[in-house]
Amino acid sequence: MSSPKERRSVVTGIGVIAPNGVSTETFWKATVEGISVLDHVTRDGCEHLPLKVAGEVRGFDPGDLIEERYLVQTDRFTHFAMAAANLALDDARMGRADYNDSPFAVGVVTAAGSGGGEFGQRELQRLWGQGSRYVGPYQSIAWFYAASTGQISIRGGFKGPCGVVASDEAGGLDALAHAARTIRRGTDAVVVGAAEAPLAPYSVVCQLGYDDLSRLDDPARAYRPFTSGACGFVPAEGGAMLIVEEEAAAVDRGATVRAVLAGHAATFTGASLWEESREGLAHAIRGALQDARCAPEEIDVVFADALGVPAADRAEALALADALGRHAAQVPVTAPKTGTGRAYCGAPVLDAAAAVLAMEHGVVPPTPNVVDVCHDLDVVTGRARPGELRTALVLSRGLMGSNAAMVLRQGSGSPS
Amino acid sequence: MNAQLTLNELAALMKSAAGLTVDPKELANRPDATFAEFGLDSLGLLGIVGELENRQGRPMPTDAERCKTPRDFLDLVNTAPESVPTTGA
Repeated sequence: MSSPKERRSVVTGIGVIAPNGVSTETFWKATVEGISVLDHVTRDGCEHLPLKVAGEVRGFDPGDLIEERYLVQTDRFTHFAMAAANLALDDARMGRADYNDSPFAVGVVTAAGSGGGEFGQRELQRLWGQGSRYVGPYQSIAWFYAASTGQISIRGGFKGPCGVVASDEAGGLDALAHAARTIRRGTDAVVVGAAEAPLAPYSVVCQLGYDDLSRLDDPARAYRPFTSGACGFVPAEGGAMLIVEEEAAAVDRGATVRAVLAGHAATFTGASLWEESREGLAHAIRGALQDARCAPEEIDVVFADALGVPAADRAEALALADALGRHAAQVPVTAPKTGTGRAYCGAPVLDAAAAVLAMEHGVVPPTPNVVDVCHDLDVVTGRARPGELRTALVLSRGLMGSNAAMVLRQGSGSPS
Repeated sequence: MNAQLTLNELAALMKSAAGLTVDPKELANRPDATFAEFGLDSLGLLGIVGELENRQGRPMPTDAERCKTPRDFLDLVNTAPESVPTTGA
């Protein structure tokens, strides 16, 4: 996403709050082992709803990482984002001493697809149950898409360019690209990513209109993209935040360059028009490769969108063939999200995090619950596959028609 | 109900409405310190005003949510027309 003379964006920290782990380490361990944590929905008020299986974040206590004053005024989706941001900053060893003298050099960008449904539902219940006087004033900020960006910025004292990307599920990748553009314009670092909490009853009801939602009651069979048993996707909570820095600034402060955000492109092909998404996704892949000055053969692993809707899976396989040519049938393709569910905007950021970790560890994580792939793709199933991974391609599509592709390159590692 | 609001009650409201742990003695010892210095933002104060209105079943004075310090706030809400005058916090 930059010429050699330009300001390159590198990943220096990763923070994950996901159904399979509320730290980056546990997330990666479960991801490599291919553990599926899809399970029956247990959230209060969801028992009678037709969505039976989801990826819930369990064992997460936001009070462990975030002060109560921030918790009372924010929704669960912001709790996830603030906690993930904390973990990412720790991972990048970036503390206030690094930016106290230049707070305008650090910005915040998040993507959001559903906002604060749980908080909003509670306040709306007060409105109609007790009256308008019982609606708390924090309703005015907690359920908005922008809440996580704002609170991370306020809590950390980050006064640089802040933004919120609302471009559907693929917005997770668009947010990373936006961070890279922000860095190109002169900002030194951006706290960027996405986390979602779409499992409050109100939020679940909002999703029931999606034909693409899996209604299967069996956690092992509810989300199996690229197979003949594909029957839709399983939603999830959680997400990831990354610390993205301008390469020279990162090196200057002694940070480890984990990966390079090398290229990105996005397209739009219309809501649930999966056949049309082939062309859009292929165009996005070509654009991301061009942006990264990357040949198709250089891609060592693909983190697929893997929606789990037969027409969408077919379109993705064909888009890969269109954009990568012969290489499409040879490159390892994985979709770890089949073990966690799709956390909407959080999903592609989790994939980007997994891509960085995969390149660092030299191993492609498997695609849980998926066997007998019925497309011309080398989907990594069963167990993780070791390999030298220098370049990763992450794909994402949203239910409303957005498509995005991002190329990440292996980082140079620790400063010598 | 027109009971006088005490610093203890204000501290409890700051906890329940805004998640702030504030020692009432701090509020008493630093009478000129602002709500902002105790970590309370304008929405937090608005929540406290709303809670008091619901408890007391009557509106608070118009400018209650604009008070800058706990002392100003107590002075205002405790001398509102329907309440009994106070001799000190």
